[in-house]
Amino acid sequence: MPKIEVNLKDLFHLAEFETDLDELERRLVCAKAEIDGFDESTGTLKVELNDTNRPDLWSTGGLARLLRVYSRGGIPRYDFFSSLGDVKDADKRVVMVDPALETLRPYITAFAVTGKPLDESTLIDLIQTQEKLCWNYGQKRKSIAMGVYRSDMISYPVQYRAVDPDKTTFVPLGMEERLSLREILEKHPKGREFGGIVAAFEKFPFLTDSRGEVLSFPPVINSAEIGAVQVRDENLFIEMTGTDLPSLVHAASIVACDLSDAGHTILPVRIEYPFTTCFGRQITVPWYFQERLSIERAFAGKLLGEDLAPEEMKACLAKMGVTSQVEGDTVTITVPEYRNDFMHPVDIVEDLMIGRGMDSFDPVMPREFTIGRLTSEELFLRDVRNIMIGLGFQEMIYNYLGSGKNFIQKMNITGEGMVRILNPMTENYEYVRNSTLPALLESESVSGNAVYPHRIFETGKVAWLDKEKNYGSVTRNFLGFLAADREAGFNEISSHVSALFYYLSKDYTLEEREDPRFIPGRTAGLLYQGVSVGIMGELHPAVLTNWGIEMPAAACEIDLDALMYPGLSPHEEGTSWK
Amino acid sequence: MDIDVKQLHPLEIKVLLGMSEGEEFDLPSLTSRFNLKAGQGNQAVSWLMGKNCLEETSRRTRTFYELTETGQTCVSEGTPAERMLACIDEGEIKTLPEIASKAGIDNKDAGSSFGKLSKEGYLSMDDDKRVVRKTPGTPPSVAAVRGLLEKAESARGTLEESALTEEEKEALGGVSKKRGAGDSLFRVVEREEVTYSLSAEGLQVKAALTVSGITGDEAGSLTPEMLADGSWRRVSFRSYNISSPPQRVLLGRKNPYVEFLCGVKDKLTSLGFEELDGPLVETEFWNGDALYMPQFHAARDIHDVYYVKEPEYARSIEQPWLDNVAAVHENGAGTGSSGWGYTFDRNFTRRLVLRSQGTVLSARRLVGAKVPGKYFALVRCFRYDQVDATHGADFYQTDGIITGEEVNLKTLLGVLKMFAEEVAGAKEVKYVPGYFPFTEPSIEVHVKHPVLGWFELGGSGIFRPEVTKPLGIDVPVLAWGIGIDRMALMQLGINDMRELFTADIEGVRLRRRQD
Repeated sequence: MPKIEVNLKDLFHLAEFETDLDELERRLVCAKAEIDGFDESTGTLKVELNDTNRPDLWSTGGLARLLRVYSRGGIPRYDFFSSLGDVKDADKRVVMVDPALETLRPYITAFAVTGKPLDESTLIDLIQTQEKLCWNYGQKRKSIAMGVYRSDMISYPVQYRAVDPDKTTFVPLGMEERLSLREILEKHPKGREFGGIVAAFEKFPFLTDSRGEVLSFPPVINSAEIGAVQVRDENLFIEMTGTDLPSLVHAASIVACDLSDAGHTILPVRIEYPFTTCFGRQITVPWYFQERLSIERAFAGKLLGEDLAPEEMKACLAKMGVTSQVEGDTVTITVPEYRNDFMHPVDIVEDLMIGRGMDSFDPVMPREFTIGRLTSEELFLRDVRNIMIGLGFQEMIYNYLGSGKNFIQKMNITGEGMVRILNPMTENYEYVRNSTLPALLESESVSGNAVYPHRIFETGKVAWLDKEKNYGSVTRNFLGFLAADREAGFNEISSHVSALFYYLSKDYTLEEREDPRFIPGRTAGLLYQGVSVGIMGELHPAVLTNWGIEMPAAACEIDLDALMYPGLSPHEEGTSWK
Repeated sequence: MDIDVKQLHPLEIKVLLGMSEGEEFDLPSLTSRFNLKAGQGNQAVSWLMGKNCLEETSRRTRTFYELTETGQTCVSEGTPAERMLACIDEGEIKTLPEIASKAGIDNKDAGSSFGKLSKEGYLSMDDDKRVVRKTPGTPPSVAAVRGLLEKAESARGTLEESALTEEEKEALGGVSKKRGAGDSLFRVVEREEVTYSLSAEGLQVKAALTVSGITGDEAGSLTPEMLADGSWRRVSFRSYNISSPPQRVLLGRKNPYVEFLCGVKDKLTSLGFEELDGPLVETEFWNGDALYMPQFHAARDIHDVYYVKEPEYARSIEQPWLDNVAAVHENGAGTGSSGWGYTFDRNFTRRLVLRSQGTVLSARRLVGAKVPGKYFALVRCFRYDQVDATHGADFYQTDGIITGEEVNLKTLLGVLKMFAEEVAGAKEVKYVPGYFPFTEPSIEVHVKHPVLGWFELGGSGIFRPEVTKPLGIDVPVLAWGIGIDRMALMQLGINDMRELFTADIEGVRLRRRQD
């Protein structure tokens, strides 16, 4: 979730009110925002924004706009938007798109800014907006990358081209020498950070003006000259390139509205595509593309649990900056230019809720009767746990993920059939366990100082690969228990198994078993109705030594699902969620 | 007097009651007088000394000469000197080694005996190295040793130095040793002899015993025999020191974290929720697509979810849910939504992952869900996160849904209030708008902890129609999730997530929930 820094004075100035921080925090609820910290010395407020679908709130200007409208009313009007049937005159401000970009990084939006010198706080906020938009909303510049330029130095039309990365050179911002685009990927910090987006392309995106003067190498780095914007620059050119045109148009609208709120004038730019886009071959940006969306009074009432009159709905929406029209029981909204989060009438319900205020809804208990119930596996596991506790065992609970070293090597097994993670963060958590025994042994290995005897157990899930299964693996409930002390051995564990089965009202038989984890001749397979459901025995000294355990130990492991559901195929899982 | 007479041991009581004021006694007399077993007298004295009930009245050292095994043999078979003289007196004249061999004396003893007897003028050696008798009769030194042996033999092997004459002491000097006395006839032993009598404190305790009627004959434990023969009627039972520290017991016990999790499950079932469960390995379809999270969503990155290495893909996704969900992502599929407007990737949706959120089970349960119905899942989830104090490699999440014609925002708030009060025990509750990709509207519930202040208990909302309709549900569905790990840490008094799954046996044995 994005976090932004705002200057508290600027925020109050733009929001047209001033309060203490407690009251501000209460007011920030309407933006799903929380205060994350305040630096008294700089007056900088850290704010966390919880709604990833509201990038318009990730700037001082955007946040202030909502706070202002929510508390004082007055929905702002922006007259610089073009739309179908109302296309503004872009004059000579045109961007031409190279056909070769269609399969690379096809889309670009742009507009120009004038009317007032850029002040420091607006510039800082503009840079922050750029970062947050491109990082969180633009998938780390993959779908949206933004550049800001000094438009006085640009001669239109601007050319958005696909160029040879080895033959094209310019001086990137932050460096003094000319580098080819490919060299920038290696040598410039931004190239190393974002170069991966274009590295596999045959040709790289490149932005120049009509004379060939370089604006930038999107999505990586601006040029050192036209791309070096400073405080007091009055005329700006702002562009965004990427892979998803609606997001690019939306992002351009957000930045344009913020700058307009700060007192700048927005000038449209026309983009000319040589291929068809979802908005046609020519788009004049800022472009308004949202459709109207309607909500019925009854629908809103059903979800909110409160019947709101259409006029009240209109008032609630207005507090959220949303214009609407009432016709009978239908309320139709005009989506604000800077928003793109209305997909379904339920999205209007949220604005109704916040606009009306959370405190205006009283909690009501659901009246419908339902029967609560644990799964049958959980009930069975509880029976097993109670018996194990009665037998004097301490219950343990462990991570399901672990290392190949613990799950395989130390157990003297091959590790075949274990669910393995493709992208482990560390090798400590690379496998899903297929047995509870490694964890029980790990406990022994770290508990040499705990008073003996040790009797520990765990019930929990394990998984293993199974080619028969649609999902390629089976998840089962297992019981594992272990006894360690000078006297621990087969006889003791066998007595425990006998008691466990007796109280579960299950009969079992034993068969001799060879298993590298246990001492030969002191290992038994447990059979229930002729099917193997587990194993018990004295742990092999080689395994104990692998774990650094210096006390004899005996252990048992039982597949509880197999015990609970006789005849359960090895490729099946417990019945309650199959 | 700080002694509780009821807590005295029977041995102590016997001694205190049996001795009168000013009477002196030592260990042997104590042992024989009270007919004690070996060691008991010593115990009684050291306990009573420790309680200042006895005082020492005298302490002296006595020296004893005890017959060694060698000495014992010499009593009956004669000393080496005696045997040498007897051998010579038999007549034949022999060399020293011949005598030693005939009389069974080892060469070293033979040498020293000859030396001594020749010095005293009774034996000498001729030119042929043969031993000859020079003076007849028994030498006084030999007689003196014989006398000592006989005397010791009749005194059960021990002679006390103070009872010996000067001559006897002198004779003993040659045949006794303090250490390494195995070859000598006598071993010198020194014994400390201490006498005691009751101290002032002891006399007070004795008086107190008399007053309370305690005799020391009280029974230690009740035995089956006493019950059988009725003798328990004639005895009284000794009081125990009830404040002596008890021994540790190792018991079978639930794991406190599991107990907490079971408690949450019990609470939810008591509120009418039915439990859900599911496999650890899931598909992208149920883990995200079915929840209307777009396939390009930031939280579905390879850096957020664990992928299964082999096999990478499920063979198929259940129909018609796959088609329904794909359509709703692409164009809204008649749900009244515009959809996300991208081409749904039917390959990606089969990708196998480790379940990353409990909400997966809610989505699965929507298929054929009861209306009205309440369901919950408390299951292990996996996230691609750095493991630290606040992030586990795997962890529990609690999620659930409520289906019903009548459910809405206000009932959602009611349910959240119920959770806050019933599950978290909170008195103060606060609701704020939240954001989740699968609910609209979305609400976060915050509760106030008496010490830690406000914290987020959980998230919730009403499932988007894009989630419910493709899975065949046409009524509102409330969805909620509670962050139970935070509550678990608070209840167990720990502040590190990793501790919940600790391998440390002693740590788990000692852990208990906080008051």
